[in-house]
Amino acid sequence: MEQIISLQNIAKKFKDKKAVDDISFSIKKGEIVAILGPNGAGKSTTMLMMLGLLEPTSGSINIFNRNPKEKQVRERIGAMLQEVSVIDALKVKEVIQLFRSYYPNPMEFAELVTLTGLNDEDLKRKADKLSGGQKRRLGFALALAGNPDVLFFDEPTVGMDISSRKRFWDTIQALKERGKTIIFSTHYLQEADDIAERILLFNEGVIVADGTPKEIKKQLSKQSVSFIDPGNLSLEELQSLPIVRDVYRKNNRVYVVTEQTDDVLEYLFSTKEKVQGIQIEQGRLDEAFAELTENKEAI
Amino acid sequence: MKTILTQCKYEIIRIMRNPYYVFWSLFMPIVFYVVFTKIFNSNIENQQEWQAHYLMSMTTFSVMGSAIMTLGIRLVEERTKGWSMFMRITPLSDSAYFFAKMVGQTVIHVLSIAVIFTAGALINGISLSAFEWLMSGLWILVASAPFLAIGVVIGTMKRVDTASGISNLIYMLLAISGGMWMPMEIMPKVIQNIGQWLPSYNFGNGAWQIIRGNAPEWSNIFILFGYLVVFVILSSYIRRKQEAAV
Repeated sequence: MEQIISLQNIAKKFKDKKAVDDISFSIKKGEIVAILGPNGAGKSTTMLMMLGLLEPTSGSINIFNRNPKEKQVRERIGAMLQEVSVIDALKVKEVIQLFRSYYPNPMEFAELVTLTGLNDEDLKRKADKLSGGQKRRLGFALALAGNPDVLFFDEPTVGMDISSRKRFWDTIQALKERGKTIIFSTHYLQEADDIAERILLFNEGVIVADGTPKEIKKQLSKQSVSFIDPGNLSLEELQSLPIVRDVYRKNNRVYVVTEQTDDVLEYLFSTKEKVQGIQIEQGRLDEAFAELTENKEAI
Repeated sequence: MKTILTQCKYEIIRIMRNPYYVFWSLFMPIVFYVVFTKIFNSNIENQQEWQAHYLMSMTTFSVMGSAIMTLGIRLVEERTKGWSMFMRITPLSDSAYFFAKMVGQTVIHVLSIAVIFTAGALINGISLSAFEWLMSGLWILVASAPFLAIGVVIGTMKRVDTASGISNLIYMLLAISGGMWMPMEIMPKVIQNIGQWLPSYNFGNGAWQIIRGNAPEWSNIFILFGYLVVFVILSSYIRRKQEAAV
C-alpha cells in the first residue's frame, strides 16, 4: 500500500529537554494508528511536528512526499488538537461554513452535522459559548470540513462522556471504511486496543514498540510460571536460562517470568525436581502498561 | 479569491458583533459630539466651523480607536486561545488571513466614517461641499494606516489584559494630547509642543485642514508615514523573534 507519512530520525528539543529522541516510522494509506503512551512521552510533540506546527530540531517529515507546511498537504489533512480553541463572535454554523470555504473539495455541510452529532440548536449558538463536549464536536466538524484524506486527533476523547466517546469511535470506524487514514494519540490502552490496527508505543520520547495491538500486548504483558517453593531450588540457575526474564519468590511460591512458558515447564520437568502446584499466569496488560507509566513518573 | 472574500465577510461580522466596537467607535463619538457641539458651545465664535471641526475630531477618534483596540486585542485573543495556531493547519495562508483582517478593518472604518458623518450632518446640519465630505472621509480612511500598524504591534503582546490595558492608555493619551477631545489651541504649551509630533494630531489635522478648504499639510503626511514605517518594522521584528523562540 501507498506510504503517505514518513518520519526519519526526528528529534525535538525544548531548551535542554529532549521531548522526542530520534524516532522514525511511516504510515500507509488507510491505516488507523494509535500513538500510545503516558503523559509526557512525546505524543503531542510528534503530532504537532507531523502537522507542521512545530519544527523538528533534526530529521525530516514528509506527508504525501511533501513538507507538512505546504498548501497541497494542508488541503488534504484535518486535525483536532488537544485544546479545542474556538473563534469568538461567530455561530457554530458560520465557523463551519468559513472552514469549508478554505478547502477545494469540502465535505457537505449536512454530512458534517450528521457525522459529528451537532444538533440544530448547537449550530445556532455562538462558538465561544459552547460547553466542553459541544466544543469537541465542533472541533471534530472543523477537522472534517475539508473532507481530508488524513485525520489527526490529539487525545480526542479526553473530557468526553461514555456515549460521546462511543459515538466518536463509531464515526472514526465509518471514516476508516471510506479509506481515510487516521492517526490518534491516547494514553488509554483500551482505546488503542479497541480502535487501532497498529500501535506506536511511546515512552520518554522514543518508540518502544510498534505493531498490531496483539503484538504489543504480547510484548508488554508478562507471562509467568509459578510453583510452590521447594526450598532447595537454585534461583540463579533458573535466572541464567536465556528464556527466563526474571525469577522471584513471593508468598511461598517461585515465579518465573518468561515469554515461553512451555519451554520453562519443559525445563522444570527435566530437572527432576519435585515441583508442585504449577500455575501459568497471563500477566495483565493494563498492569504492565501502568508500570511503564509509573516508571516515567518516577523520573 | 472566494476564500479571501468569505474570510473578509466573517471578519466584518465579528467586529460588528463586538459590543466594545459598537460602544467605543460608534456610540461614544456621537455622544461626545452632541455634548461638545450642542451643550458646551456657548462662547465659540465660528459655530459652523467648530461643528465641522469637531465632527472630524470625533471621526478620527473613532477610527483610531478601532484600529488600535479592536484589531490589537483581537489578535492577542486569537493567539492566546490557540486559534492562530489552529488556522495554520488549514490551507489559508498567514498572509491571506492577515490581508482579510485588514480589509475587514477598512470596511469597518468606512462604516464608522459613514455613520458618524451622517450623525453630524443630521445633528448640526453641517454643510460641507461634496468634495470636502469625500476628501475628509478618504483622508481618515487612508491615514488610519499607522494606527492599524500600532494595533498589530499591540497584537504581538502575550496577554489580553496587558494588551487591553496598554492599548486603552495609548488610545486615551493620543486622543487627548492630539487635540481630538479639545482643540490644541486651548491645551497647555507643553502638550501642544509634544502633540504636534504625535500621530493623532497629524491624523486629525489633515481632516481639520480639509474642512477649512485646505489640503493636509505635508508634515502631517510625512509624520504619519514615518510612524507607519516604524510600527510595521517593529511588529515584524517582534513577530520574527517570537517565531524563532518556538
